[in-house]
Amino acid sequence: MPKKTLNSKESKNTKSYFWQALVLTVIVFIIGIFLGIAYEGNRLEQINEYYVLSEISLMDALALSRLTDIDLNSGIMNCEVLIQANTNFADRIYSEALLLEKYEESGKLTEALRLAHTKYDLLRTILWLNVINIPEQCKRNVSIVVYLYEYDSEDLTKKAINRVWSRILYDLKRDVGNKIILIPIAVDSDLTSLDSLISRFNISSYPALIIDNEKVFLEIKSADELKKHLK
Amino acid sequence: MIELLTIVYLFYAFIGFYFLFLYGLVYIRNKNEIFSYPKTIKNYSLSIVVPCYNEEKSIGGTIESLLDLNYKNLKKIIIVDDCSTDNSFNIIKEYAKKYPRVMLLKTPKNTGKAAGAKNYGAKFVNTELIGFVDADSYPEKDSVKNMMGFFQNKNVAAVTASILVKEKEKFIERLQAVEYRIIAFTRKILGFIGAIYVTPGPLAIYRKNLFEKLKGFDEENLTEDIELTWHLLSKNYRVEMNLASQVYTVAPNNFKAWYKQRIRWNVGGIQTILKYKKIFAKRGILGSFVLPFFVFSWVLGILGAGILIYRGARRLLVHYLATKYSIAAQTAVLTLREINLAPNILIFFGTAFILMSLFYTLLALSYLKDKEFKKMGLFSVLMYSFVYVLAYPFILITSMYKYLKKKRSW
Repeated sequence: MPKKTLNSKESKNTKSYFWQALVLTVIVFIIGIFLGIAYEGNRLEQINEYYVLSEISLMDALALSRLTDIDLNSGIMNCEVLIQANTNFADRIYSEALLLEKYEESGKLTEALRLAHTKYDLLRTILWLNVINIPEQCKRNVSIVVYLYEYDSEDLTKKAINRVWSRILYDLKRDVGNKIILIPIAVDSDLTSLDSLISRFNISSYPALIIDNEKVFLEIKSADELKKHLK
Repeated sequence: MIELLTIVYLFYAFIGFYFLFLYGLVYIRNKNEIFSYPKTIKNYSLSIVVPCYNEEKSIGGTIESLLDLNYKNLKKIIIVDDCSTDNSFNIIKEYAKKYPRVMLLKTPKNTGKAAGAKNYGAKFVNTELIGFVDADSYPEKDSVKNMMGFFQNKNVAAVTASILVKEKEKFIERLQAVEYRIIAFTRKILGFIGAIYVTPGPLAIYRKNLFEKLKGFDEENLTEDIELTWHLLSKNYRVEMNLASQVYTVAPNNFKAWYKQRIRWNVGGIQTILKYKKIFAKRGILGSFVLPFFVFSWVLGILGAGILIYRGARRLLVHYLATKYSIAAQTAVLTLREINLAPNILIFFGTAFILMSLFYTLLALSYLKDKEFKKMGLFSVLMYSFVYVLAYPFILITSMYKYLKKKRSW
């Protein structure tokens, strides 16, 4: 075992350790934070790409709706195409929303994903408006299910209810497939158009479910119960 | 705007990384000197005081290990019986009869604290150095001899050793065995920057003149060994540790005893922090590092426990309600799509911190391994790293409560 002299030990400058450790920590932290921001930025880019594609789908669905009045009677376009376009679009943004929610939950450094969420809510509001305007004759076999929830609620009971409703609607969508157009929208997105649209239904609390723009549910028991109210 | 909780977590990560880097840097620069110690040139005269209260099971073994020490100038082994109610007194008496170096003392009345018996015994010491050994501790043969060289530096006031766990049969003992090894290694690391903050009861040696000058141990303090060390640091004396000097001690072998011991340590810690609060952020290692380190450990520990309880309770409640409603709605209680595996910056920092801590733990253990250590197994190390340490914030909260309620007892 090596023996040491006291002088060699005393000569060490202990203060430098504290400063060096601090500098090292700051460097690691700065690198870590930048990498974190870059990582979250990558996710945002991915979401933005999806968003652009969704926007194209929505525009397509909107254009189809415009054509409806002209072409429906002439037989150039049938209802199926119109409904399919809207259903596909709804399904697409539904799955993108799930991904976005996961990214947003784990996003810690930037607010950009929160803004993307609002953009998607606007997209879904436009979809809702679009399906409202689809001629009744085309909606004979399809139900429009709009799920309104508070995204930022701190109320634990509401959080739990949101989670269960989300599961019930997922089950419902899985069971009935294209027979419903499911549109989940966060009501606390601060969108004037959405607020105006919701005000028509006199909803006193959230979460709420609107089926076919007529029936408003503030309580739901199961997917089976909901099926009874579908077309 | 970044969430407040994210900022708090990042702050925790920053502090954690800072200490890991600090320990890492000190280790890298001194790794060849971890086990080294100055050669003993002068044979300082030494007396060892052993406070004893109801230690009939261990006192004999402690005396024998002291008699077995190979330090030539050990003048007296003073065993202070603090009015034990078991057979301790008679056992000590037999040793005192047999060995002239062993002196038996009995306090006039039970002092109720180790500090009382230690101070009482110190009155009978007239050697240059005074050592203290707990009545359930067993110093290795050459432990004391190898500590003496440090006293050649006139600024060194006290020297301590590696405290290791003697019995490792029960799981709680094995966890403490891991813990004590990490503490010993860390204490040595801190020794390189002059920041040893405690000279623990199982084995510590002080300069007798300084011990007297500082009026010995504070009998009001539940951790008199921490208090005396801080007293020495506040006077700018240096405290050293020899990692190669090892002393085995009996650690609590059940949860209740362990919990009681930890509460005592922490209540004593609070007493000491408050006693030296005026030195906070002042020059010298005590004010600039040791005291802030203790205070921040307390604040961060309690805040961490608060956050953990708050977040955990909220999650549990949401899970409970969601499960209840899900059952009523006959839908899945848990779905795969709800499991979020998307990583984030906190997970990256957390993972890096855990890996570095684990590396530090294994490094510390590699320095103090023995045959028995192999029996401990990876399970004990992992349990220590991920479960045992989580109990600490709750110990801090209870200690704070007990301190405020003035429930201070051995």
